[in-house]
Amino acid sequence: MLRLENVGLRYGDGPEILHDVSFALRTGDFYFLTGPSGAGKSSLLKLLFLALRPTRGALRIFGEDVGSLSHSKLPPIRRRIGVVFQEFRLLDHLSTYDNVALPLRVAGKSEASYRRDVMDLLDWVGLAEKSSDFPPVLSGGEKQRAAIARAVIAKPQLLLADEPTGNVDPVLAKRLLHLFLELNRLGTTMLIATHDKGLVRQAERPVLHLEQGSLNLQ
Amino acid sequence: MKPGAIIPANAASLTSLTVTMAVMCYLACLAIGALILVDRAVTSWTSGLAREMTIQVRVVRNASIPEEVEKARAIAAAFPGIIEVDVLDESEGARLLEPWLGTRSLEGLPVPRLLRIVTDTDSPPDVVALENAISEVKGARLDTHQKWEAELTRMARALSAVSYAILFLISISAVAIVVFATRAVLQANRHIVDLLHLVGARDGYIARQIDGRFLRTGLISGFIGVGLGLFTFLLLGLVGSGSGSEGGVAAASRGLLFSTPSIAIWSYALLFAVPLAATLICLITARITLMRRLGVVT
Repeated sequence: MLRLENVGLRYGDGPEILHDVSFALRTGDFYFLTGPSGAGKSSLLKLLFLALRPTRGALRIFGEDVGSLSHSKLPPIRRRIGVVFQEFRLLDHLSTYDNVALPLRVAGKSEASYRRDVMDLLDWVGLAEKSSDFPPVLSGGEKQRAAIARAVIAKPQLLLADEPTGNVDPVLAKRLLHLFLELNRLGTTMLIATHDKGLVRQAERPVLHLEQGSLNLQ
Repeated sequence: MKPGAIIPANAASLTSLTVTMAVMCYLACLAIGALILVDRAVTSWTSGLAREMTIQVRVVRNASIPEEVEKARAIAAAFPGIIEVDVLDESEGARLLEPWLGTRSLEGLPVPRLLRIVTDTDSPPDVVALENAISEVKGARLDTHQKWEAELTRMARALSAVSYAILFLISISAVAIVVFATRAVLQANRHIVDLLHLVGARDGYIARQIDGRFLRTGLISGFIGVGLGLFTFLLLGLVGSGSGSEGGVAAASRGLLFSTPSIAIWSYALLFAVPLAATLICLITARITLMRRLGVVT
């Protein structure tokens, strides 16, 4: 599903952020990505959700070589990837419901076809009563849950999450972990970047540790 | 529940674009009005000139002017394709020279006599044959007005070319303004565009969320421009309506708005093509700009 071979990344003429990163994810894998702040976790995730391209090495996702992929070929691949951004990236002018429904809407689905699914998911993450509220009035934890709901609503094959439990209490963090495990059990490949050692311990899944731009399997 | 607009309407207002495009459309209406008026004036002048010719009989030694004039009238009247010959008497000739010589008596001056000839437009006379026939009359010369007609046509072509050039420049300016406005909207909504890309939106989908606003802007500014243009022509027509003058800008403006239905409908059709053109310029330029910019924003 996803393979990196000697991938390097630098921004402009700056120093290399990632050096010779190599790993592979197969369908159904569940990995955590850990490492200190500034180690390059977010940059690695940006590579994986196709916001950046590697400056060297090879990155293949769903069998496609990202380095040679044209701009027009990106949307179908991105639709197979769900992303939970660290800073949520909710659209403030859209309601919680519209934010969560966004991936389905851009995929061309009608509101009638996804309304039930979106409301069920909002209910599951405890935001049913906030469906008409706008992000500026949501708490950090509520925004986090809305962002997770948006990432999983289209049932992606690969879910990439950057600190998905960073703003929620331990009870909700555990609930979200169960959601991720359930999605994984249903076939979604997971890569979760986190500092939450408790979350990693509870899940008992392999860990990719990134330090000073280099990746090791723990 | 109706989904909210993905690109908020209040982000990067298009008010400045609407005002600028309305001014452009107004200028385009004035240029189109000028084109119509020039075309109509030239048609009127040239058709008048084409219907008429003049025989000039100059005073020559050993010839009686009245006899020569009568000889020229007889030749012209009998010539096929000529339906009327009108001999201008001496006083009428003197009146034509008033702008240059004033109202003083022209007695004793060798003032040429003029014959106005009206031709049959359906079956015009053979001008060369007529010239040959007239050459038998002493001091006579046929003036077909071709020189004037050619100069008028040349002037009209120059004015038309200037109007077309103005329309072209307005269109180029409008395109440039829309490109800048589109980039501004894209820049103001960059975070939304980036997110849409990351959740799998195609460039065409994102462009459709934005270019609808440019369509509305083109339509609104186009109709404002045409409204101002029509108001200007009406105002020009009303301002000069009391002068009693047959020609001039006032009469021309009235003619533009209130002429016969067959002509007026063309004037209005050309003027109302402006909002259509403005809308197309806004829509097509915005779409091309969006697709090109979105292609480099990953």
